[in-house]
Amino acid sequence: MQNVYTVKQVNAYIKNMFTQDFMLNRIYVKGEVSNCKYHTSGHIYFSLKDQSGTIACIMFASSRSGLSFRMQEGQQVIVLGSISVYERDGKYQLYAKEIILDGAGLLYEKFEKLKRDLEEQGFFAPEYKQAIPKFVKKVGIVTAPTGAAVRDIINIASRRNPYVQLLLYPALVQGEGAAKSIVNGIKRLEKEAVDVIIIGRGGGSIEDLWAFNEEIVARAIFDCQIPIISAVGHETDYTIADYVSDLRAPTPSAAAELAVYEYMGTAEIMKEYERRLRRTMIQKIGMTRQISEQKELKLKMAHPRQKLNEKRQRLVDLEQRIQMDFTKCFQSRKHKFAIYVEKMKGLSPLAKLSSGYSYVEDLSHNNLKSVKQVALEDQLRIYMTDGIVDATVTQIEEVTVNE
Amino acid sequence: MSNEKTDSLETLFETLDEVVQKLEKEDITLEESFTLYQQGMELLKKCNETIDVVEKKVQLLDEKGEYHDF
Repeated sequence: MQNVYTVKQVNAYIKNMFTQDFMLNRIYVKGEVSNCKYHTSGHIYFSLKDQSGTIACIMFASSRSGLSFRMQEGQQVIVLGSISVYERDGKYQLYAKEIILDGAGLLYEKFEKLKRDLEEQGFFAPEYKQAIPKFVKKVGIVTAPTGAAVRDIINIASRRNPYVQLLLYPALVQGEGAAKSIVNGIKRLEKEAVDVIIIGRGGGSIEDLWAFNEEIVARAIFDCQIPIISAVGHETDYTIADYVSDLRAPTPSAAAELAVYEYMGTAEIMKEYERRLRRTMIQKIGMTRQISEQKELKLKMAHPRQKLNEKRQRLVDLEQRIQMDFTKCFQSRKHKFAIYVEKMKGLSPLAKLSSGYSYVEDLSHNNLKSVKQVALEDQLRIYMTDGIVDATVTQIEEVTVNE
Repeated sequence: MSNEKTDSLETLFETLDEVVQKLEKEDITLEESFTLYQQGMELLKKCNETIDVVEKKVQLLDEKGEYHDF
């Protein structure tokens, strides 16, 4: 048994062959990513495969600057690196230095890069976004003159408000020269001094929508002094234009809704203003009238005739009171008088005369109460109830009554 | 950028709002009310003029900057 080699010797030999091969030291390999693992050490282990087979790949943490996206299963990539032998396993593998996405993936990467660059430059910053005016008169549209997008925009816009002027700049929205055409449209409509511009197109593949991912379009949107609403593709499609524009609409129809205010609603607002104005005015007039009527009433109350009437009334009142007081007073006197009359009656000499007593006086009308007042032959006058008797004194006898 | 022509409807509404609110205050004289009412009605008229209630046809711009009916 001659020429027996150790494993180490064979592996080292093969490795040396790989290392000396000019092509294997710097090679581009394309394929689909599979078994991709991001190791905690920062190395990435994956395989590239196509229909025929696979090749093991590794990207060391130190080479990570050559990868600008997150690698995922199934991605089509192009890997630049060297192929060498891993002696411990006796396997050859691709040591990746740069990885880029292939085809559509390349576009995606380009998109991501431009997005990043523009974002860093502040193209998407909210402070640069212009407000979409609420009530527009003229709406500029940059899109293809045929197709669903333009139809949708026109239909929705005219349904919401047929009094808004739509100005269409027919643009190429895909293929050669599309980006330039869109830029021209924006600049052209800016000169027309429209109130808002809608740029957009219907759905399509990433290649179809690509014009809206071009930097010149982004710059034109950013530089435009008129607010721009973007409406590119479907709701799920995001283009650079969507990020730069002042407002992103999910679809062209939605863009028309965002740009054009509803006439009916606005007309209703105006009617409501009119109603409020009228109602308030009528109320105000009514209130003023009421105040004026109150004042009129007050004025009437203050008229001299009214005062005169009041005085007259007072006079009548007083008169009545006097009358009443007088009557009362009179009645009370009358009553007192009646009492006196009764008292007098009790004291009247006539009453005494009627009970058999007589009143005696001399010729000088002096009442005679004592025998000492008379002398014999004196003329006396005696009053009785029914007449007078003149008499002469014929005898005088003093009588002492024992008490 | 605010375009004067388009802002006007918004401004008109704002002014209208102020006018109506002033009018609805109770401590104004009848003369002031009449003035405000008149102002309000004029503003409404201006709104209508601004909207320009005439149906517009879509216009197509060509490269030379000329308009065509779409």
